[in-house]
Amino acid sequence: MKKRQVISTVLATAMVASLGMTASAATEVAANELAYKGELEIMHYSTSEESEGNGGSDGFRTVLAAWDEAHPDITLTQNVLANAEYKTQIATLAAAGDLPDVFLLQGMNTIAWADQGLIMDLTDTIAASPYAADYNEAYFTPFKTADGKIYGYPALTGGTCTVVIYDKAMWAEAGYDAFPTTWADVEAASEKFNEQGITTVAFGNGGKWQANSDFLSTLGNRYTGPEWFQSLINKGGAAFTDEAFVKALTEMQRLFTETSIFNEDFNAVTNEDAREYYISGDAAAFIGGNWDWSYIYATLKDSDEEKFANMGIAVLPQPADATEAPTSQNIGLGYAIAINPNLAEDPDKLAAAIDLAQEITGPAFASYVAENYALGGLTKVADVDLSAFDQQTQDFYNWSYVDTETCEIYDSCINSAVWDILNTDMQTMMNGEMDPATVAQNAQDAYVANY
Amino acid sequence: MKNDGTHKVKKGVLGVFMNLILWIFSLSCIFPIIWMIYSSLKEKRVFNADIISLPKEPTLVNYIRILTNSDYHLGESMWNSARTTILSIAMIVVFSFIVGYILSRVRFKLNRVLYVMFLMGMLIPIHSLLVPIYIVFQRCGISNKWFTLLLPYVSFGLPMGIFLVEGYVKTIPVSLEEAASIDGSSFTHTLWTIIFPICKPILVTVAIIQVFSCWNEFSFALVLIKDVSLQTVPLALTQFKGQFASDYPKQMAAMLITMAPIVVLYFAFSKQIIKGMVAGAVKG
Amino acid sequence: MKMLNATRPKNKTLFLYLMIPVAMFVFTVFVPLITALVYSFFEWKGGPVKTFNGLTNYIQLFHDGTFWEAFGHNIYLVIACIIGQVGIAFVLVLMVNSKLVKCKTIHRTFGFFPSTIAAVCIGLIWNMIYHNKYGILNWFLESIGRKDLCQVWLNNSDLVMLLVTIPLIWQYIGYYMVIILSAISGISTDIFESSEIDGANGFQKAIYITLPLIKNTMLVCVTLCIAGNMKAFDNIYVMTKGGPGTASMVMAMYGYQISFSQSNMGYGSCISVGIFVLSLLVIGGSQALINFLTREKEA
Repeated sequence: MKKRQVISTVLATAMVASLGMTASAATEVAANELAYKGELEIMHYSTSEESEGNGGSDGFRTVLAAWDEAHPDITLTQNVLANAEYKTQIATLAAAGDLPDVFLLQGMNTIAWADQGLIMDLTDTIAASPYAADYNEAYFTPFKTADGKIYGYPALTGGTCTVVIYDKAMWAEAGYDAFPTTWADVEAASEKFNEQGITTVAFGNGGKWQANSDFLSTLGNRYTGPEWFQSLINKGGAAFTDEAFVKALTEMQRLFTETSIFNEDFNAVTNEDAREYYISGDAAAFIGGNWDWSYIYATLKDSDEEKFANMGIAVLPQPADATEAPTSQNIGLGYAIAINPNLAEDPDKLAAAIDLAQEITGPAFASYVAENYALGGLTKVADVDLSAFDQQTQDFYNWSYVDTETCEIYDSCINSAVWDILNTDMQTMMNGEMDPATVAQNAQDAYVANY
Repeated sequence: MKNDGTHKVKKGVLGVFMNLILWIFSLSCIFPIIWMIYSSLKEKRVFNADIISLPKEPTLVNYIRILTNSDYHLGESMWNSARTTILSIAMIVVFSFIVGYILSRVRFKLNRVLYVMFLMGMLIPIHSLLVPIYIVFQRCGISNKWFTLLLPYVSFGLPMGIFLVEGYVKTIPVSLEEAASIDGSSFTHTLWTIIFPICKPILVTVAIIQVFSCWNEFSFALVLIKDVSLQTVPLALTQFKGQFASDYPKQMAAMLITMAPIVVLYFAFSKQIIKGMVAGAVKG
Repeated sequence: MKMLNATRPKNKTLFLYLMIPVAMFVFTVFVPLITALVYSFFEWKGGPVKTFNGLTNYIQLFHDGTFWEAFGHNIYLVIACIIGQVGIAFVLVLMVNSKLVKCKTIHRTFGFFPSTIAAVCIGLIWNMIYHNKYGILNWFLESIGRKDLCQVWLNNSDLVMLLVTIPLIWQYIGYYMVIILSAISGISTDIFESSEIDGANGFQKAIYITLPLIKNTMLVCVTLCIAGNMKAFDNIYVMTKGGPGTASMVMAMYGYQISFSQSNMGYGSCISVGIFVLSLLVIGGSQALINFLTREKEA
C-alpha cells in the first residue's frame, strides 16, 4: 500500500531529542476573528506515535492545538487514525459520499474525487490566501486537475523519497571517497563487499510500494526527464510503453536480478527491516526515503557514534544508458488539506475551515518545523537558521532542498489503480519472472482504463 | 503371558510418543504469548536489532508510556469492548440455541431456507460488506452509537453458533422431548429447563470462541465507529502505529494489556470451562 | 430427527422465537449483501457516483486471470486446511483423551491459544521463522549442515503458498480441537468400554465408533473450515500481502485490493459476489461428497 506520501512524514529529524530540547518554538497562529461558532471536524493520521517519529506530524498536531485554543467558540473535533486505517476509512466515507468537513486528501485521489464533486475547488481561495506569495508552487502539482484547478493546501512536510545512505568509512575502504555516481561503479564495488560477506546496498520491497516510490520514481526520471511524467499527468500523450520508461524498467530488473548489489530478500523484507541491515553493519549502504533517514539518524545517534559520524547521503547513481538529470531525487508533499463542498452552504463555517487550512500550512507551521526539525512545508520560510542543527541534519537539509535537482513522486499523482497494478507486476519483474515490456503494457492498460 | 509383555512395551512407547507430540504442540502454541511478553520488555531499537533473544535489560518503559499517555485511551476502550463483547456473547448464545434447536427439530416450511440463509452469512468476506454496511447503517442513523457494533457482531457470530448447536442437538434423542410433553411440559418449558442444560457443552464452546472474535474484531469497528469515546480496543490500539516506524514492543505491550483481562479469566476458569465443554454424556 | 407433531410447537410460538434473530440477521447481513450485489452491476470508482453497466463487471471477472489464480490458491488452502486443521485436530483430541496421556488440561487449554491471537502477531512470529538472515528455519538448516537449502522463503513464488498455509493450520488446530472435544464428550463411555471388551484397539475405536458418532459435528467443522478458508485474508495480508507479485493472492485479498487500493468498488463488489457463489458451490459440493461417502459405509 502506498504509504508514501511520506512527504508528510518526512524527514522528521524528529528525534529532536538530539537537540537536547523538545520542540519549543512558539506557535503563533494568526488568531483571526471568525464569525463561526459551532463544530468543525477534521480527520487526519497524525497519531501521537506518528508525531514521535516525524517532525511534520508533530508540527501538525501542535499547530492544530494552537488553532483550537485560539478559537474557543469553535469545537474542533479531531478524528485521528493511523495511516493505513485512515486510508481505509476515508475510502469508505468517500464511497458513501460522507466525507468529514476537513480532511487530508491523498494526491492520487484528487482527479477522481474532484470529478465526483467530493472536494471543493480551492483555486481562488488559495490565490487569496495571505501567505500566497510564500507558497512553494511546485508542491501543488499532485492536487491539480487537468484544467489547473487546485483542490487542496499541501500539508505536512516535504521530503525526498529516494536517498542513498552510505557508510563513508566502509566505502572509503573499498576505494570510494564519496558514493559512486554510476551503477557501474557500484557493481565494481559490490565485488569487494561480497568477498567480505557484506551486502552492498540494502533495499526492502516487501510492501510493494517501495520499489516504486523509493527507486523507480527517480530512476524513471533519469531516462525520461521530467516532461514525460508531466505529460502523463496531463494526458498529453505520454505512455508507460514509451521507450524511455521501458528502458528504466529494464535497468531496474537488471540491477535486481543480474547483479549482486542488493540483499537477496529484497522482495520479502520491508524498508524497516532493510535499514536495520545498514544499522547493524551488514550492509554498506541503504536506499530509502526521508522517513528512513530520520530513523537511521535517530538510532545511530543514540547507539553508535562512530557510524553516526560516517553517515553519508547521495543521490541514486546514474545508469549507463540514462541521459537525464543525474542528480535528481523525487520530493514533494503527498497529502493536502481538502474541504468538503457541503461547507459552501454555511459561509461562516467555510471561512473557519479555510482559516484552519491556511494556518496549518502557513508560517506558524513552517517556522515550527524549520526551527525544530530543519524541515520545509508549503510555506517558504526565509533564512532558516541551520546552525542550531548538527552536521548531518544540515547536510540533509541542503541535499533535500538546495543542492539537488527535484522531480515528481510517481505515486503522488495519477491514480491508485494504476500504481497498484504496476507495483504488483514490478515485484514479479524483480524476481525475473515477468519482462519489462509486459509490465509497461499492463500499466498502460490500467492507465487507459482508469485515468 | 508373552503377549502382555510386548503389549506393555508397545503401550509404553506409544504413550511416550503421544505425550511428546502433544507437548511439542502445546509449547509451540504458548510460545507466541511468551515471546510477546518478553519482547514488550525491550525498547524498540533493541527489539529491531534482535527479534528473538531474551532482553538483556528488561524495562517497563513501554508499559509506563502507554498507561501515562492520555492519547491512548485504553481504559475507556476496554470498557467499550467489554460491554460490547458481553452483550454480544449473551445474545449469540441465546439466539444460536433457539435457532439451532428449531432448525434441527421442527419441521416447517422455511426450515431449509433459513438454514441456507444462515449458511450464506458465513461465506461473505467481511471487507466486501464494509461499505454497504456503512451506507445502510448511516442512512438508518444507527452508526456510531454505543449499540452499533452489537448488530454485526451478533449477526456474523450467529451462523457458526447455529450450526454447532444444530449438529449437537441431533445427537439428543427425541424421546426426551416426547417424554416431557407427555408429562405436560410446554414447548417453552421443555426448551429451557431440559434441553438448554444438556446443550451446555456446546454453548460454552460457542461462547469461548466468540469472546475472542468479538474482542479482537477490527474492520467493522473501524468503519462504524467515529467517536473516540466509543472506540473498542483494537481501534484504540491503532494509535500505536506510526506510518513508517512500527514500535512493535510498544504495540505488543498494548496488546498484552488489552488481552490480559480475557486471558486471566480464561486461565482462571479453565477448569470450569473444560468441565463445561466436556460435561456429561447424555445417558440414553 | 425431527419431533413428532404432538410435541411440535405452534407456528405462532415459532415465529416469536425466530423473529428477533432472523430480523437482525437479515438487516445486518442480508441487506448489505443485496446492496453489494446491486453495486456489482455498476461502475463505481470510489465516490458516490455510480453508473449502471450491466454484466460488464461479471464478464471482466470471468476473464480475470488473477482472480482465478487466487481461486486456485483458495482451493489449495481449503484442502490443506481440512486435512491439516480438522484432521490433525481430530487426531490430537483422540490423543488427549487417551488414557496414556497426562496433563490433559494443559494440552486442551494451550492448544486453543493461537486462535485467540490477532493475525498481526501470528504474521510477525512466522515472518521471524521464515526470515532470510535471522530466521529460525534457515538457522536450523544451517545447523544440520544443509546450508544449500537456505533461501529467502517468502520470495519463492512456488513455495510461498505452502509457507503461508502452515501458520494458518497451526493457528486453528486448537479451535477445532475445542469443538471436537465437546462433541466427543457427548459420547457415553459405555460404548468404548464394551468395544474394548470386544478387543477393539485404539485405531479401530476411532474410525468405527468415534467418527460416526460425531459425524454431524465433523461435518460442521468441515463446513466452517471451507467457509473460513474461502474468505481467508488476515494472515496472508500480514505475511506477504499476496506476493511476491500474485503468488500468494487469495480471493478476499484481491477483492480488498481492488476495492480499496484501486478504488474500483463496483468491480470489487462483483468479486465478492463471485467469492460468495464459488463458496456455496464448494460447500454444496463437499457436503454432497461427504454424504455420498458415508452413505456407502452404512449400506
